[in-house]
Amino acid sequence: MNVKYISTIALLAIFYGCSTQVKIDNPNIPKLLINQAPFSVAIKYPDNFNNFLHEEKVIGKKSWQVDFTSSNRLLFNEIFQSFFEQVTVMENSEDNIYENFNFTIMPSIDAIEFSVPEQSQDETFSVWIRYRVKIFDFTGMEIINWPISAYGKTSTTTFSDDKDLANAAILAMRDAAALIVLQLEKTNKLSSSTQQVKIK
Amino acid sequence: MTNTPINKEKTLYQYKLIVLFTVFSFSLSSCVTARIEDNRVGNTGLEEGEGVVILAKSYHLGNDTETDFIKCVSSNISKGASRIRVVPTNNFKDLLFPWFEPRTVPSDTKSLTTLMARKQVSDVFRNQNLRYIIWLDGNTDSSGGGGSMSCAIGPTGGGCFGFAWWQNDSNYEATIWDVQDIKNEGNISAEFSGTSFMPAIVIPIPLFARTQAKACKGLSDQLKIFIAG
Repeated sequence: MNVKYISTIALLAIFYGCSTQVKIDNPNIPKLLINQAPFSVAIKYPDNFNNFLHEEKVIGKKSWQVDFTSSNRLLFNEIFQSFFEQVTVMENSEDNIYENFNFTIMPSIDAIEFSVPEQSQDETFSVWIRYRVKIFDFTGMEIINWPISAYGKTSTTTFSDDKDLANAAILAMRDAAALIVLQLEKTNKLSSSTQQVKIK
Repeated sequence: MTNTPINKEKTLYQYKLIVLFTVFSFSLSSCVTARIEDNRVGNTGLEEGEGVVILAKSYHLGNDTETDFIKCVSSNISKGASRIRVVPTNNFKDLLFPWFEPRTVPSDTKSLTTLMARKQVSDVFRNQNLRYIIWLDGNTDSSGGGGSMSCAIGPTGGGCFGFAWWQNDSNYEATIWDVQDIKNEGNISAEFSGTSFMPAIVIPIPLFARTQAKACKGLSDQLKIFIAG
């Protein structure tokens, strides 16, 4: 019996030593300081935005698991609710939604990568997230397809590896917000496709 | 064998000795050479209630200033006789999100002028009564080490033997922007370097060159003088 307990504890200790899980519940994205555009938009999230999990094994070292939970939804909700006057999050992916809104936005994640101090040979954690933002007009035609390459970096603190990586991921998400706002402010595709139609 | 009061006292005495030795060895530090220079362009000064914010230059531009160093400078200049009100960095970034993120942060005073043309941004500066932005650039590096040390442990005890050393260099620069006139008022550079040693005869005794802590103190003191005018 004792041997069983000891071996279970030893196994748990080995697994704990070989893998680190980082959880991001809420990235606490603040309200964006921007002028709102007078459009109504719908947002359709992919299913994996509710529980996005990224796992990466550092060669010869431990593996890291980053659980984004629903933080990507929170990020895009904050960006688009700050930028557009009317925002509706579509929960049912079957809905034919295009005609009811000026625009329909479909964000997704193309890729995530990160580096830890053992790899980068310096005292920093870096996270790269490549989002994709597709925007459709009210006829369902794709007018925007942007890759959003975001980057976050933090320096290490004593005994806080998992928190440092989570902070780098949050910085990458904030970077994505900044880049999306810059792109949205620069593009003339939104105003040109709604010359006749304002808020639907 | 019972644990007699004499044995207990002896053990307590040994613990005290170990703690004392550890505190003593960590309080030792090796020599650091320092150079602080300031380059003043305009006149500075603070009115009643005005404050400053301390930010790191963007890591998109290759800057690696440590978060701890920014916290240290913020803490030092907001304390003491000629203390300055410091708006916490994260609060400031959240209030102005996304305009002071590493990607969007103004890289020169011309970009700040463009940014201040946004009413919401200039309102935040006015509400926070912010007069100066202090940009920090630079980092601390360890390099050029040498020596060797080996440690062993056995049934009767353990210990280390050897000697190791390495070089610590802390190079930082603070640039001060006046938000009211939107102009660069000057900069202060701080270069601190020293060699850390670790001799070991049974117990390793670290003699750290605390260049970063000293650079923080030196730069903070100089910033207070610079801003006071």
